[in-house]
Amino acid sequence: MTSANGNQQDGGDIGGAFPADLSLPGALDGLRVLEICDERGQFCGKLMADNGADLVKIEPPGGEACRSFGPFLDDVPHRERSLSFWHYNTSKRGITLNLETKQGQDILKQLAASADIVLESRKPGYLESLGLGYDALSADNPGLIMCSLTPYGQTGPWRDYISSDITQMAGGGQMASSGYDEIDVPGAPPIAPGGGNSWHIGAHYAYIGLMGALYYRFLTGEGQYIDASIHEACALTTEGAIAIYLSTGDVVQRHTGRHAAPDMSPAIQFPTGDGGWLNTTRSGTNLTPQRLKLLADWFDQSGMAEDLTDERYQDPEVIAAENDHIVSVMKNFFMNSTLMDSFHGGQQRDFPWGAIRSMDELVGDEHLTDRDFFKEVEHPELGRSFTYPGPAMLYNGSPWRISRRAPLIGEHNSEILQGELGLNNSQLLLLAEGGVI
Amino acid sequence: MPLPTPLQGIRVVDFTWVRAGPWAARWMGTLGAEVIKVEWPLNLDTLRQNRFTVPPGVEPGPNSTGQFADTNANKRGISVNTRTDEGLDLVKRLISVSDIVIENFSSRIMQRWGLGYEQLRKIRPDIIYVSMAGFGHTGRHHWYGTMGPAAQALSGLTHLSGLPGQPPAGWGWSYLDDTGGMYGAISALTALRHRSATGQGQHVDLSQMITGITLTGPAFLDKTVNGRKARREGFPPGNRTVWPGAEVVNNYRGPIAAPHNAYRTAPGGYNDWATIACLSDDEWHNLVKLMGSPAWADDRFDTIEGRLEHQEEMDEHIEAWTQKMGKYELTEKCQATGVRAMAVQSSQDRVENDPQLRHRDMYVPMDHPMLGPWKFQNAPFKMSKSPARMSSPPPMIGQHNRDVLEDLLGVDHQDLLDGYENGVFWPSTMDRYPYIEEALR
Repeated sequence: MTSANGNQQDGGDIGGAFPADLSLPGALDGLRVLEICDERGQFCGKLMADNGADLVKIEPPGGEACRSFGPFLDDVPHRERSLSFWHYNTSKRGITLNLETKQGQDILKQLAASADIVLESRKPGYLESLGLGYDALSADNPGLIMCSLTPYGQTGPWRDYISSDITQMAGGGQMASSGYDEIDVPGAPPIAPGGGNSWHIGAHYAYIGLMGALYYRFLTGEGQYIDASIHEACALTTEGAIAIYLSTGDVVQRHTGRHAAPDMSPAIQFPTGDGGWLNTTRSGTNLTPQRLKLLADWFDQSGMAEDLTDERYQDPEVIAAENDHIVSVMKNFFMNSTLMDSFHGGQQRDFPWGAIRSMDELVGDEHLTDRDFFKEVEHPELGRSFTYPGPAMLYNGSPWRISRRAPLIGEHNSEILQGELGLNNSQLLLLAEGGVI
Repeated sequence: MPLPTPLQGIRVVDFTWVRAGPWAARWMGTLGAEVIKVEWPLNLDTLRQNRFTVPPGVEPGPNSTGQFADTNANKRGISVNTRTDEGLDLVKRLISVSDIVIENFSSRIMQRWGLGYEQLRKIRPDIIYVSMAGFGHTGRHHWYGTMGPAAQALSGLTHLSGLPGQPPAGWGWSYLDDTGGMYGAISALTALRHRSATGQGQHVDLSQMITGITLTGPAFLDKTVNGRKARREGFPPGNRTVWPGAEVVNNYRGPIAAPHNAYRTAPGGYNDWATIACLSDDEWHNLVKLMGSPAWADDRFDTIEGRLEHQEEMDEHIEAWTQKMGKYELTEKCQATGVRAMAVQSSQDRVENDPQLRHRDMYVPMDHPMLGPWKFQNAPFKMSKSPARMSSPPPMIGQHNRDVLEDLLGVDHQDLLDGYENGVFWPSTMDRYPYIEEALR
């Protein structure tokens, strides 16, 4: 496949950084991480675990509450069948521990004594109130790095505010930038984009802080405590909105499917004949005479160029003057094409357009397959395997991998508490009957 | 004495431009790495040309945009023409004394410069090379172009945002430039830990578009595991968890809940909205009590089933109540009674009206040579021993040529001056800015 500008690669070149040796350990191999997290922090744990960290997830007896988030396997609700929990807890092992009991606290301290990282997302001050704050956990382990990832951080007037994904995206500014032009949906509210992304945003920054702390420990041997705030992470994640305000005092307005901006901008999303939408990006169309000709020749192949093949369009002034007409020809073409044909046809002519894909279009994609993106993960207890999303990046020297499906509730209690801490059968029994594990 | 930074001693060669790449390197600089941005004035970083962020009264130019400033803080900058032999040689010398190379060009550009990974590792065997192309360097469509909105569309993120039966609302900014930047930094720092442990460098081949797919996990599994159609009635359900009348299935944000919406507040301006989410019956009853236990809030609403069934009526009543007060007053009242709520905050709100961000020093002032006193966005975490730090405003283009080329690479001063005359360090077709002349004296 060669694009119109002639400098693209043909379809045979799919090379790049694909790791030569998939048996190599991951980048975080050898690190022991303890995770005490609900939906706020579990994604940060996944980022470490899929990179090879030995992550032990510590859940309350009965499991984290977010095991009851749908959707569920075969739509049968059950705490071992949450697809949300499955996704966010790959490559982890799991134990149950009641941290409000003395025995539970002692076990956590024993585990922390040999851990590299503790990641937690409990209410600010909660672990400290149990005698499990950073000072206590690092007393015998000065290299310990501990990160608390919470809605508003450990200090300040909103420290104890309670939140959910939508309230974080309200405070963080995501909603003030996302929504509709009045002409498209009159009176529409600001929209909180879906997917639980406030937790993702917080997790990314917490991970960066943790990696920074690891390098500092590599240099000095010293651990430290990191107080990470989801609110601040979200407040950082609106691209130019803050810079625009600081520069001019303008507050951005919401526009359908494109950048919030101080001014009105042309629509960039167009429906396709099969019910999809094509996003042509704000600056992606940029019609020079040469690019207009590429479009016209393409549309002309199906007899839909109208007059755009006319020589008079080889003039920037004519293109500018006839913009509305050109856009109407484009719209008509898209309405008589399919989403994926419009997308690929555009890309092959150097138009960096995006098909608004749902999972229906995305799963099975050939480019993703080339990158070995679709990962089969065994669920031995079910005798089945399922396709999970792989990584965004290929580490050619330290492959990312899902080393196991999410842990069942207390699955590794014996492995960790007996295998590592040396508890005998009767001690384990007493912990179980006493509600500690 | 200031506390040490976490990435002290790490040097990053930053070939990135626009947003995602520079944002990645910006966080390495904020963690204390020495980031050297390599530019050429004839191929200006588009953020240096951002028309929305030149403050009134500031002379327009490549050093005058607020968006470039925040995106490139905590870096130094050099101007070198890598299309000259001498320029390319100096860039290689810089790489030989650096730890990380990061770029977000199209997929084969660096190879064409002779700076692909195989060449980089010859220059510096343990180099960490992070590439951030839209589709990555691997895969049949590696040469496809993306910007944030297209990447979001292709990743499935855009489809998750909007009201049912309407066009996708999408994300009102380049979320995948912000997040692609995060993953650029994540890639570099993860590879740095690998190098600390093994002594080995590597190439990390990041795809900005695919970062978005990794943020749609539950939706992805609902398709691959349950075979659920992603295009369906009532989806996406706007700010709700289930659209009224639609089948009750999870929308991948978290638990199914109602109320769960944005509501208008006084005085009714463009951003006078607040969100409320009741994730349990108890939280609902807290809200009812706060509203004064109105007659309409009867036992039809006692269960989540009832609240979903009567969602339209419930939301209308709640909004009639929220419209009587300001969004911050509403937030405080809800929080005081155990109801999850937060004001929809604009950019202005965050900078001027958010007491939490103020308390946490979110906006750090530094003097910028063109913009004057300027606020920069701080790190969203506090590290007890080696804090992240806002250390310097962004480089003016070519500002640190003398520091880097003479002091670090040992270029002779006369050779430096010659390079300005023959188009290696500055285009012969362009006037030099006064700060450049000043630095050469």
